[in-house]
Amino acid sequence: MSGRIALYGFVALVVAFIVLPIIAIVPAAFSAQSFIRLPPEAWSLRWWDAFFRDASWRVTLVTSLEVAAMTTLVSVVFGTAAAMGIARLSARGQALLTGLFLGPVVTPAIVLAVALYSMARATGLVSTLTALVIAHTMLALPFVVLNVGVSLASLDRRLPMAAEGLGAGDFHVFRTVTLPLILPGVVGGAVFAFVTSFDEVVLSIFLAGPTVKTLPVRIWEEIRVEYTPVVAVGATVMLALALVAAATSRLVGRRGRA
Amino acid sequence: MTMTGRRLGTVALLVPATLIALLAFVVPLARLVGISVSAKAGPFDAYLHVLGDAVYRHVFANTLVIAFAVTLIALLIAFPVAFALTRLSGAARTLVFACVLLPLWISVLVRTFSWMLVLERNGPVNRLLVGSGLVDQPLSLLFNHTGVLIGMVHVLLPYSVLPIYASLVRVDPSLLRASEGLGASAATTFLRVLLPLAARGVATAATFTFLLSLGFFITPALLGGASSITLSMLIDSFVSDRLDWPLASAASVVLLAAALVIVAVASRFIRVSALARVHR
Repeated sequence: MSGRIALYGFVALVVAFIVLPIIAIVPAAFSAQSFIRLPPEAWSLRWWDAFFRDASWRVTLVTSLEVAAMTTLVSVVFGTAAAMGIARLSARGQALLTGLFLGPVVTPAIVLAVALYSMARATGLVSTLTALVIAHTMLALPFVVLNVGVSLASLDRRLPMAAEGLGAGDFHVFRTVTLPLILPGVVGGAVFAFVTSFDEVVLSIFLAGPTVKTLPVRIWEEIRVEYTPVVAVGATVMLALALVAAATSRLVGRRGRA
Repeated sequence: MTMTGRRLGTVALLVPATLIALLAFVVPLARLVGISVSAKAGPFDAYLHVLGDAVYRHVFANTLVIAFAVTLIALLIAFPVAFALTRLSGAARTLVFACVLLPLWISVLVRTFSWMLVLERNGPVNRLLVGSGLVDQPLSLLFNHTGVLIGMVHVLLPYSVLPIYASLVRVDPSLLRASEGLGASAATTFLRVLLPLAARGVATAATFTFLLSLGFFITPALLGGASSITLSMLIDSFVSDRLDWPLASAASVVLLAAALVIVAVASRFIRVSALARVHR
């Protein structure tokens, strides 16, 4: 019995270790002072005001949302198509392509960053939306391919075949039969893709530049020098968006995936 | 539909994503290998420099020590948590699961920044320690190994908990009861029954955590000090400060090779592709 109490006590400590440091960022954003002290001695919204008034911060948030939206669109369309293509291949073909798409997951981010930075310099793509969207899509694709793949595996093959047998064209079958059935996987993949892009920092540090900069890159630059509570506002915005994404994924997951 | 039509359809489905993977993954990495052997002094000059220099060797050793320490600490914390998850039910189980998974959604940068605020000299942790009389002087928890270890364990804990949980949940509880019923102590039951049955989960957890630790950049760069430079930080400084592309590329290829060796060895025992599923 005492062993059980010790176990649950330990788990409670671990949960506190996981959660408390994450939410510590929030009070820092509501400080009235010009430096960060936890908890703040006086509270205010002045740094939120500063964040949204300062065009240089606002622009990074807009850029982040743009890049994440484009990444989501491209990786969901390409990834869903790829998952459907992979499902039609032989076992060897499936292993080969899955390996190709999963490569970025096991490759250290700094290696990808340096490789892409060198490539972007050679092609003049440094500090462009194009470079960021292509890089983020490469990172997000495996999550879409896997999620849609799981949905496809549980799909009853006879349904699209029946639709085909009844004379429906390829795209018509996809739109009216296959897509609605794999939608939970597609939406789940879309949420992962969005968060992967919105949170991405290592590749973006190298690929961003003075003209195109995402919110995490701006936060990174500020933290490395001297920071005011306005950085905590930026971080809280990222935290809030992540929580919305987590909640969305849970809602979709409950209806779709196991 | 004809057979060739179907083949063409399959190819059309695969082409866009494959192009992205080739353009943004395969080709840049291949170019990196090319750059690493392009040093003026000879093709292996950059490698000899990176692997031969005592300062850089110290960074390699440091990276390995941190990765081993993070993996060990994460496993020691993760096992009891994973075991408790198999015993909990209802709301408690949902809550603990949510707390374990939650960090995976939140940017590593945000979490690391948070630790900077929590661990700083006048931060809440130090005030708590000094206020409670546990220490006289605030501890240096940042810009050294301590900060790096705390931050990295925090980020990588879910990658340890989930694989161990996945193997523990398949252990038949009657085996543990049988062991106890036959008079084995809790320690014996753990060592002789539970641990061997969870071996694959622990191996998977260790692989994921070590693999990810090896390439960590943001957390050691922000929480570490001059004494805790890792390979990723070295690569960054080759590119950003010294603009030495052959050196940066050679160091990157070494890191990539280390990651691939781990994946190749581990994939004989575990499913490495599951790493992409350990998310949210």
